[in-house]
Amino acid sequence: MNYRVDPTFKTDLKKFGLQSWNDCFHCGNCTAMCPLSEDSFMFPRQAIRTMQMGLKQKLVSSIDPWLCYYCGECSDTCPRDANPGEVMMSLRRYLTSLYDWTGLSRKFYTSKVWEIGAILLLGGLIVLAFAIFWPSISPELTSEGGVRINSIIPLKWVEYGDWTMAIIVALLLMSNLFRMYLKIVHGAEAVKIPFFLYFKEAWRLIFHFSTQWSFSKCDGKKYWLWHWLLMSGYTIMFIIIVVFLPWFQTEEIYDPWHPQRLLGYYATFGLLFGLIAVIIGRLRKINAKFKFTHVSDWLFIIMLLLTVITGILVHVFRLAGMPLATYYLYVAHLAILVPMIMIEVPFSKWSHLAYRPFAIYFANLKKEAQKLQEKSGTNFATT
Amino acid sequence: MGEIKPTGVFLTICKESVNGFDNQILAEYVRKIPGVSKVWITEDELDPRPEIILKEISQNNLKRFVLAGYEPGLYKTAFSKAMAEAGLDPEDVKLASFSESGITDNEQAKAVLFCSVHDIPFVEAKRNGSAKVLPETLVIGAGIAGIQAALEIADSGNKVYLVERSGTIGGHMAMFDKTFPTLDCAACILTPKMVEVAQHTNIELITLGEVAALGGSAGNYEVTIHQKARYVDVIACIGCGVCSEKCPQNVYSEFDANTSMRKAIYIPFPQAVPNKYLIDPDHCRYLQEEKCGVCQKVCLTNCIDFKEQDKDVKIKVGNIIVATGFKTFDAGRISEFGYGRFPNVLTSLEFERLVNAAGPTGGDIRFRTRDKKGNWVFQPAGDEPKSFALIHCIGSRDRNYNDYCSRVCCMYSLKLAHLVKEKLPDAEVYEYFIDMRAFGKGYEEFYKRIQDEGVHIVRGRTAKIEQINGHLSLRTEDILNKRLLEQKVDMVILAVGLEPRDDAGKLAGLLNIKQGSSGWFLEANSSCDHSGSSKEGIALAGVCQGPKDIPDSVAHGSAAASKVLQNIMKGKVNIPHEGLHDIELRAKELSTLREE
Repeated sequence: MNYRVDPTFKTDLKKFGLQSWNDCFHCGNCTAMCPLSEDSFMFPRQAIRTMQMGLKQKLVSSIDPWLCYYCGECSDTCPRDANPGEVMMSLRRYLTSLYDWTGLSRKFYTSKVWEIGAILLLGGLIVLAFAIFWPSISPELTSEGGVRINSIIPLKWVEYGDWTMAIIVALLLMSNLFRMYLKIVHGAEAVKIPFFLYFKEAWRLIFHFSTQWSFSKCDGKKYWLWHWLLMSGYTIMFIIIVVFLPWFQTEEIYDPWHPQRLLGYYATFGLLFGLIAVIIGRLRKINAKFKFTHVSDWLFIIMLLLTVITGILVHVFRLAGMPLATYYLYVAHLAILVPMIMIEVPFSKWSHLAYRPFAIYFANLKKEAQKLQEKSGTNFATT
Repeated sequence: MGEIKPTGVFLTICKESVNGFDNQILAEYVRKIPGVSKVWITEDELDPRPEIILKEISQNNLKRFVLAGYEPGLYKTAFSKAMAEAGLDPEDVKLASFSESGITDNEQAKAVLFCSVHDIPFVEAKRNGSAKVLPETLVIGAGIAGIQAALEIADSGNKVYLVERSGTIGGHMAMFDKTFPTLDCAACILTPKMVEVAQHTNIELITLGEVAALGGSAGNYEVTIHQKARYVDVIACIGCGVCSEKCPQNVYSEFDANTSMRKAIYIPFPQAVPNKYLIDPDHCRYLQEEKCGVCQKVCLTNCIDFKEQDKDVKIKVGNIIVATGFKTFDAGRISEFGYGRFPNVLTSLEFERLVNAAGPTGGDIRFRTRDKKGNWVFQPAGDEPKSFALIHCIGSRDRNYNDYCSRVCCMYSLKLAHLVKEKLPDAEVYEYFIDMRAFGKGYEEFYKRIQDEGVHIVRGRTAKIEQINGHLSLRTEDILNKRLLEQKVDMVILAVGLEPRDDAGKLAGLLNIKQGSSGWFLEANSSCDHSGSSKEGIALAGVCQGPKDIPDSVAHGSAAASKVLQNIMKGKVNIPHEGLHDIELRAKELSTLREE
């Protein structure tokens, strides 16, 4: 098919954090340097060309930006300081906004006012809900002298809230994922994929989600470790508070070796370690990947850090038997956690938790389908 | 000098130190100029209304005004009106406009003010002076550009001092095997010129010499040249080579780009000029620790003198030509290519020596290995490499190293590819380039010829080299074919770019000439005067001004020679006024002239 050249595209992309668009002279160093680039998916140079030419239709159906884990080697060795890694990052932001049918993602990525405003609004609503429905707090202590955490609000209400939030986020993400699927698999560069492949390749979803195996192929395993600790901590915490809340948030305080507490401690450690490492990295700009920080990057880190810190403080005050401090921090914890999940997961930075593994899945579908075609000698390509 | 009518000076720069000008400094300077009776700084000190100016005229008995600043014309009407009312000439209000004079600092502003007070147009005072020119010329650096310039000036009948830092003239060109695009033998072109230099009666060759100090001014420079001791009497030495044979010290040969060994007493290469031996004092055991001295014992003509001292030579010259050349980029700085770790990753200069019939293997292409002492040497015999890769733009067009294009690498890489094919017709040769710059006369045709010879020319910059089982593996994006290449080869040649000499800055400081942002010496004008430096009486020749290939360096050397010859034939050089003092002198001179 023919693509339309859109010279204004790069000005639009600048709103998503694009640094420079005309430095690249297409030597191909980045693609050859990239540990993840391969014959069927060559990036980042081709994506830069597509961006420079403003070939939007081609970009929309492109998986390449999601296959990049941003190790920064391309930017480090780029002879033109064209920051290919950051171009891929901006493209991911742009694609996130395209997959999102509500249009909110675009607003959040391109406007600080929208993103911060939405966070404040949601947080404010939580505080307001507490003020209206559970205004009276009765400090109650357990027999061990700890605080009765569930006396501020009945646990089932928190559970209802969790499930509502999880369902809304899941619906949004799934509908966006479906749009991503349509664009990538049935878009401009479509390949006909035999039905059985969808099942045959499905294991990749879980595998890549849980291990981030591709990232470990990037040089410098420490970034993979940071990322994995952060991800595993987050996932465990998310599953605990949504699915197993009654088991986790008990009135009774178990001894420190109880699995409930051990799991909580691991998740907190993973989150805190990953966050601190990333914050130091970004402040000191220790690597090309940390050199440029978009507002959405900072907001995500800050929100997550505040969630973790308030969570830890709730736990500490509770053990120390300080009811009022526990309750107020619990409210603050929820007022930060809810907007963090509601904004970041479906619309902003954290959406990549779904898009990345699915992109790898789609990429492998395409690759396997192509292999089958080559074997059978027929060409299903619709392009 | 005529009397100056009592003048009032009005400085109109609104705030202190705006645009780099300082009212206080300027006011202090203006007050000292004879004839200035009153100075006001801005409207704070003088409200520029005709009636107030009129009052000032009568109080201070003023006869004229100078208005100075960025746009002093704004105030002229008021002053002229007051002058007319006082019965004076309304046109006796002079404007010293900084913006119109195009000046940027206090010193220049002072000069403009001085001229305005003396009623001399600023441009008049800026006009050049001139000085007589001595017919002798100093050429610094005896590579092909310096040799060309020296020969042309000497042939015209003028004396040339040719100063060379190393023990022989010839420079980088002497190291090359062939020249592109004609594939002429480099030595066949260069050696006759070197011999001509040695025999020319008008050329005084100073080897092992470096410029140590510069005095005087254009037309009459006094140069001190620090000449290192050679420890061998150049006249007595017959070049028999017995000393070198017996010398126990082995040192990497600079001339062979460190690919072979020489002795501590050595001749850089068989065609060296002067064709006499010299001692490397850093490696000579006698000079370092007073042991050995074998060369002195075996010398047939008794020409070795360990007591010889460095000396300073003082010369007077009218013009100087700087032709100090370049150094090649240190490929070890780019770790991805493994230069220095993998023995068969070579720089282009090393390969140039390897493939040269006078090189370490007599022109046979061999693998490089470690010898027993751990030195890297080319195997004298054995297998030949079967596949080669040439990578362009090493250290050039790369913002991590040098931004500029080194101009010669595309063409010399094609030439090296040809030399490989010539010696090993069955070898596979790959070239990885970013953009192919075959810009000169006959270059595009040469590019086509190399393609026809079966060299695989791939568009894409190699990102990294790994050594796997003795093979070198290169990862490159084949841009024109949308494929990632994983190419295994036996030998990699890195097309290193050109860089200014490490001490180019030092020389620039000594000679007081400017360097561009990349460190190359700055030409007088980037489009129409490439061979002049930023200073009168000093010309530039060859790569020291910016990367050039051999034909361009020779042409540049000729251009520098013609520049010098112009000065010599005119008998004088222009000297621009440089400081405030010069302008003051000139302005006074002019105003005296006008009085007469």
